[in-house]
Amino acid sequence: MYPRKIALAAAALVASALTLSACAPSAPPAATAVAGSQTLTVATTTDVVNYNPLIGNSRSDYWITNLMYPHLLSIANDGSKVPQVATKWGYVNEKTGFYEIRHDLKWSDGQPLTAEDVAWTMNAVKKDKPSGTFYGQLANLDTATAVSPTRVEFTLTKPDSSVVEEIGFWGNIVPKHVFEKAASVAKFANDGTDGGWVSAGPYKLTKVQVGQSYTLDRVDTYPLISGGTPLSAHVVFRVFPDINTEILALQSGEVDLIANALPPAQVAKLKATSGVTVEESVGLGYAHMTYNMDNPDLAKLEVRQALAHAVDYEAIRKVVLQGQAVSTGSSPLMPVLKDYYDSSITEYDFSTDKSRRLMEKAGYTAGSGGVFPVKFRLIYSLQDSVTSQWATLVKDSAAQAGIVIELQGTERNTYLAKTNKGDFDIYAGNFAIMDDPVTNMTLSYLPGGAINYTHVNDSKLNDLIAQGAATTDKGKKVTLMREAAKIVRDNVYDNIMYTQNLYFAHSSKWTGFVSKPSELLSLVNPVSLAGAHPTGK
Amino acid sequence: MSRFLFLIPRLGRGVLTIWFAVTVTFLLLRLLPGDPALAIASPNMTEETRAILLKEYGLDQPLIVQYGIYLWQVVQGNLGVSFTQSIPVFDVLMQRLPWTLLLTGTALVTTVAVGIPLGVLAASHRGRFLDRLVQIIGVTGQSIFVPSIGVLFLFVFGLMLGWLPIGGAYDQDAYGLAWYGSVATHLALPALSLMLVQLGSYVLTMRSTLIDALREDYTLLAKANGLPYRRVLWRHALRNALLPTTTLIGLQLGFLVGGAVLTETVFAYPGIGRGIYEAVTQLDFPVLQGAFLALAITVVVANMITDTVYGFLDPRVKKA
Repeated sequence: MYPRKIALAAAALVASALTLSACAPSAPPAATAVAGSQTLTVATTTDVVNYNPLIGNSRSDYWITNLMYPHLLSIANDGSKVPQVATKWGYVNEKTGFYEIRHDLKWSDGQPLTAEDVAWTMNAVKKDKPSGTFYGQLANLDTATAVSPTRVEFTLTKPDSSVVEEIGFWGNIVPKHVFEKAASVAKFANDGTDGGWVSAGPYKLTKVQVGQSYTLDRVDTYPLISGGTPLSAHVVFRVFPDINTEILALQSGEVDLIANALPPAQVAKLKATSGVTVEESVGLGYAHMTYNMDNPDLAKLEVRQALAHAVDYEAIRKVVLQGQAVSTGSSPLMPVLKDYYDSSITEYDFSTDKSRRLMEKAGYTAGSGGVFPVKFRLIYSLQDSVTSQWATLVKDSAAQAGIVIELQGTERNTYLAKTNKGDFDIYAGNFAIMDDPVTNMTLSYLPGGAINYTHVNDSKLNDLIAQGAATTDKGKKVTLMREAAKIVRDNVYDNIMYTQNLYFAHSSKWTGFVSKPSELLSLVNPVSLAGAHPTGK
Repeated sequence: MSRFLFLIPRLGRGVLTIWFAVTVTFLLLRLLPGDPALAIASPNMTEETRAILLKEYGLDQPLIVQYGIYLWQVVQGNLGVSFTQSIPVFDVLMQRLPWTLLLTGTALVTTVAVGIPLGVLAASHRGRFLDRLVQIIGVTGQSIFVPSIGVLFLFVFGLMLGWLPIGGAYDQDAYGLAWYGSVATHLALPALSLMLVQLGSYVLTMRSTLIDALREDYTLLAKANGLPYRRVLWRHALRNALLPTTTLIGLQLGFLVGGAVLTETVFAYPGIGRGIYEAVTQLDFPVLQGAFLALAITVVVANMITDTVYGFLDPRVKKA
């Protein structure tokens, strides 16, 4: 009796095991062992929201699509644009730009990547207006044409001396023969459901586990890296929404690289952690405050100057940023951009006495408690922990100068909506990457500029920016932009507080990562992932 | 057949609850101060791009028209298309919902399986050391913040001891039976965290209701008739004391789902809780509406199951 029951139980167990095995994912065919068969695991904090690089809006979107859809140009650590798919670029005349592209790149389905793909991508984005940053760069584009398999020429509606580099840097190239099947590139999910992805990077996306991981396999040949073959067989992006969990995963060896910028407080700790290497990248973005000039008080120059002198910039950089930020001299020209940076422009000194004198000069009289009869509302995003910290310091130091600042930290979407509506007195925040002075000043300081949060309209400044946009003479452009930066600084049209150096961490068992000067389009150059390799230690 | 008639009004209430949840979710999302176009596109987009986006998503229509279209789509089983991912909301949910059901289901079952015996233990040792110990565990559990206990568990079991993985739902390279093992090891810490924060309610409820039940006349009579204490406890007192605990299961489901949002974030678990968080940051209305609808249905169905079980445990309920 008992042996029969035991036999039945054993048979049931075996049947259950077989059923469960059948339901579980099955192993892929065994791969042939080749040199460099390792997997590089990269931690990221967000999921991929959209696989269409013309729409993408999360960090992981950029990181993964940048490994799949190449840019014409990349950026070096000194902020200069460097070749990627394009080998030469420039202007035929003031209203016609061109790119010469490589002849040896192929899409993963074997089709060659040609100038036709580049021209089609530019025209499709212009026509369909997808919501990504790329479309914003095409304001002055008329039409692009492939004049040969390796040369694209495009006409402009008006002279624009920045547009060639900006389009080349911000825009991904997509395969015409895949994307043209969609009614609109603005609505194309490109989610791989129609036979997988067709890409032209060092890696091809092959497996997606939503909320968990994204696996990319290397392509056989990739001419943009030394040796022509990506070194790691696979790159796996794993999603860790919580930075603490992400760091634990690096320490435990579950991931090899944390590619997002580390919070300032974690940098020193990780530098001291055995087995972890922390690398620094210079910043090309800045933290700033803008004063809404639609407010009659803030329309007065002396009040803006008083506010600018009531901030202890050095304390903010030392305490909040733990020394991981540098002054730009209150200039919108980043020190990284050596050709443009002007060391003669100096930072507003912290002096509450000077602030008080400026407020009195503006016609305000302090009350018995030494407080002036004005109050300003400063908005910031609560998701931005660094800004949230220094906003408090700004409030406290302004109070010493008798100026009342009311803090209004809100959830990010509310903050964006308030910013867009101009519903603030003082805006505190960050711009992630200001790579081209003319483009950035056009957006930030020209009337109607999308990020002109000060609502400034200064005819002299407008004229300088317009001249800078029109000239292709680099020396002249530098002179114009320096003059414009001085006007911005002296009139406090923007209060640039610092540029933050960025840090990423990886296992000391790996080497070969190359950084870029901004986190927005990835802090670690995506192409460098193809050249990263174990140290062998 | 007639024994199931008591379910009909409950079914009606369930449908009404789901409609209410759908309507409130729809309205609350539109009351949020953010602008979906800003959340989706780059902040430096032009007004033209913004207008195009709002039109594309139907957000330029009057609220009542948007509501009517949405309700009609829901009735037809169409949850719409995600603003940010450009794929059907149903697909977005199906990628994540099974993991949340596994996590919350495991947490619920283990909480009940551990909580009820602990409550019985405390009640049957009332006033003694074991009772005090169980009460301390229960109260402490209720005061724990999920992310704190989560990071602590990850540090101890993931990093220091290396027994369990740091994040995710399973290993990349696990196949066949090993895949189930991988799912189980990845599930252990998030389920344990959720269980610990829920445990207190069950233990303390079970303890107090059982103490009351042990004072009732019918238990005293059973004891007086010479029935063994264990039989009185487990067969007579416990069955009646289980009724409030059964109610608690239904009530706690909502909290369990809420706790899953934080748990999934800390443990990098790919469930719908995290999906909701991401959709909130992106103001992806269709995904949020779909997710809340799915959760409302889950909670309503679970409550109906609880009601049904309750009906069988206590025949008076069927007549009520």
